[in-house]
Amino acid sequence: MSGPLKRTLLEALLVTVLGLVFAFGANRLSPRGLSLTRNYFPATTTPPVNVSGTNANTIVTPNPTNQTATSIQAVLDRLRSKGLQPIDVAEAKQLFEDPKYSQELTVFIDARDDRHYQEGHIPGAYQFDRYYPERYLAEVLPACLSAMKIVVYCTGGNCEDSEFAASALRDAGIPAERLVVYAGGINDWKTNGFPVELGARKSGNLRQ
Amino acid sequence: MTSMEKSIIDVKDSKSNAANPWGSPEKRCWGRDLVGLFARCVLASSFIYLGTSKALHPADFLKLLRQYELVHDHVILNFVAIGLPWFEIFCGVLLLAGVWVRGTALMSLFMLVPFSLIVAQRAWNIHEASQIPFCAIKFDCGCGAGEVVICYKLLENAFLVLMGVLLLALRTNRWSLRYSLFRSA
Repeated sequence: MSGPLKRTLLEALLVTVLGLVFAFGANRLSPRGLSLTRNYFPATTTPPVNVSGTNANTIVTPNPTNQTATSIQAVLDRLRSKGLQPIDVAEAKQLFEDPKYSQELTVFIDARDDRHYQEGHIPGAYQFDRYYPERYLAEVLPACLSAMKIVVYCTGGNCEDSEFAASALRDAGIPAERLVVYAGGINDWKTNGFPVELGARKSGNLRQ
Repeated sequence: MTSMEKSIIDVKDSKSNAANPWGSPEKRCWGRDLVGLFARCVLASSFIYLGTSKALHPADFLKLLRQYELVHDHVILNFVAIGLPWFEIFCGVLLLAGVWVRGTALMSLFMLVPFSLIVAQRAWNIHEASQIPFCAIKFDCGCGAGEVVICYKLLENAFLVLMGVLLLALRTNRWSLRYSLFRSA
């Protein structure tokens, strides 16, 4: 091996080692850092956005706005296979308008990250970013335990966060029969012209 | 100096210039240095920007990585999602500062080339499954720039690969804090 090549490879090796030390140090310090060992996608086989393999005919494009009827059916089938009950926009609206919602006997759980939650969520919905459950469970768990119906949603379409959040809540002790997943998610909610709340929960800053 | 000696020197100069496409030695040096600086800045800014976008939203990057179905072990998936964004930023900063430039350029190529091939493969799969024209395919490839038209992304990556190759080939150490690990710039 020639001298310059050897030196370049040694440099590259050093860059790799120092770069990885830097990366894991930064991840540890970052408030959005991930855990190396946690399984963020438990008990799943293939992700929904995939054009090869068994679901090749169900997804035309990974763009969630181009959902086809077959892909929506695939989402519903996937939810049922996980033992989760999906609901549509009419049922979500009915639960939202039910007086039980103001009594907190029905709760909505937004499974998206902080940025998306702040940009608009179903009014009164609790945030539960499943990637950082330790930050939210203290507030969300008591509300869910005292509720009769818990509606979990995320962006909609191929977003799986609501499914994983519902599973996490079930694992945390919430009875499965109380949990439903609003498969259409916030995109469906907005498309139907229903109000969203900006900023924090109960901020009162509503937008149609 | 006799006219004979002067004409011999002129012939030598013209031969030297013909063999050297960069012109005079001074011009050649500046040309190479400027190209090297340009390549470093382009590659560095690209890595810093794309790495930062991913590092700010690592969970989103993790979800996108998972869609490639390259690894099924969650620890390896998490390792890539945690390591890659910050590693890109690290390489970007080294390139911008001109530290260990050739080693860093080599690592940039190790990231860019396989990633471009994987993205192209996934786009091809989408093309085959959906019959959407290849260059009309648009998706979030996990590059850090959101949804991209795949052909533009591949062109952009080809350009970045070219910048990396130039940095490896040029060996220009001007405006570098420490060009090489083994000798000061």
